[in-house]
Formats: sequence, C-alpha cells, structure tokens
Amino acid sequence: MADVKGNEMAVKTETRPAQEQKRQPVVMTPPVDIYETEEGILLLADMPGVPKENLDVHVDKNLLTIKGEIGDIVPKDISPLYVEFNGKAFERAFTLGPDVDVSKIEASMNAGVLRIFLPKSEEVKPRKIEVSVE
Amino acid sequence: MLRPWFSLSDPIWQDFDRLNREMERIFNENYFTTPGLSGTRVPIPAVNIGETPDRVLIYLFAPGLDPENIDLTIEKNMLTISAGRDTSKEIGEDSKVKGYYRKERFSGKFRRVIALPEGLDTSQIEAKYSNGILNISIKKKEEEKAKKIEVAVS
Repeated sequence: MADVKGNEMAVKTETRPAQEQKRQPVVMTPPVDIYETEEGILLLADMPGVPKENLDVHVDKNLLTIKGEIGDIVPKDISPLYVEFNGKAFERAFTLGPDVDVSKIEASMNAGVLRIFLPKSEEVKPRKIEVSVE
Repeated sequence: MLRPWFSLSDPIWQDFDRLNREMERIFNENYFTTPGLSGTRVPIPAVNIGETPDRVLIYLFAPGLDPENIDLTIEKNMLTISAGRDTSKEIGEDSKVKGYYRKERFSGKFRRVIALPEGLDTSQIEAKYSNGILNISIKKKEEEKAKKIEVAVS
C-alpha cells in the first residue's frame, strides 16, 4: 500500500492471497458525481444499504478512500428468488490534488448517498483584490 | 454411443456467448445502468426478490430518493414502482459550480415493473425506505404457506 501512487487502478489491482479474498465480502465500485465549486470539491457516491456506522472515510496522504458495508437488510430465513444486486460492500479511492485542505473534510450520509465536501485551502481560493484608484 | 449434437463447452458456443454478452453490453449502455460486479452493468435501480415461509420480500436499491415521491401500484400481479431523483439539486443552491470531474450517478425518473409470484395476498403489503433501499414485503396467502406434515409411524 505504501508505494501506491494513489490512483484508482493501483488500488483495485492490489492483490490479496486467494484464501483471504474468498472470505472478503463482494466489493462493488460505487458510482460517483464529483463537482468543483468555488469553495471546494463535492463528491457524491451511491452506496445503498450502507448505514452511517458501517461507513469508513479516510485520507492517507493524498489518497481518499471510501468504504462501506451493507448492513443486515434481509431476514435470516430468506431464500433468493431473483437477484440483480449481490454485492456486500462498496469501496473506491481517489487521489486528491494539492489544493484540498485535508483537515477540513466533511462527510455525511443520507438515504444511501454519501456526501463528502473537500474544501480548498485558503491559498488557492479565488480572492478579490481591491484596486485602489488614486 | 451417441453424442449430443452440440456441447455447451464447444468453443463455438463460447463465442456466441461472448457475442451475446457484448451485444447486451452495447445496448444496455443507453439505458439507465450502473456499474456492477467485475465490469457488468445492472439496470437502475437493481431489484432483489426473496421469500421467507410467510412472505415475499422485494428490495429495490435506489439511493437518494424522497420517500414522498415513491409511487407503488399493484394491478393484478404486476407491481409497479416509479420514482426519480434530480442529482443536480443535491449540489446546494448557494454553491457556485465551476464544473465536474465525474457524473456517473443516475439522474431522472425510472419505473420498474415486477411480476409477482402467485399466491400473494396483495392487500397485505408493507413498504419501507431506509438507507437508500426500498423494501416491499407482501404476505403469502394462508393456503400457500408451506405446511409441515407429520408422518405417522405405524
């Protein structure tokens, strides 16, 4: 993990021992929208079934990782009739630019949508410079 | 010994299978789909259906909906779920958007029609929306429930 230069592919192709992989829940890539506003970067990710307490958002150097595990949504005595969605967890990683103020990242979760706001550091925000006329 | 005239492991069928999947992928791109496991695409929103001894449960994976705008109707054995969301409204009115890097999430209206299995009591239906999953629970009719039959030993 240490020498991963923080791109998505590198994270996804990270190899795990076959046995360990078997026990890992099936991981899906959540679809995201990423907007740039004047104040920062807004990231929205669809992670249906993930309660707030099963969510893990963290930043390691310039790598933002979002992980979420789907909670227990089905009763124990259920048997499947038709299945389109058989993931158990979501995971995705993003490289952050140098403009982001990592200490001020905000995250919230509502109705299966993860919302992360990454404010730009003060230096890079557009500033209005008053021109004094003499 | 007679051989079946084709075998599914025959390379020609694998080619057909691949072609089939490729065609499916191309045509599905135009529909509302979302990335699924290992490069597949699943229709939005995905539906899972399961049953317990006394009910049939339907799970619709549709995050970011306003529960007020979810419309459920049952006609004969067809359950129709219609709803939608506008992702552009999630940004926040006061933020000045300069552009976007990714727009992968579904925005718009959708409708899914599900043919329900026989033997359900559609007057006993419950729907709950939590964490972005719509869970619909329909009771089975009394006579459809699996009964345990005691075997008498003589």
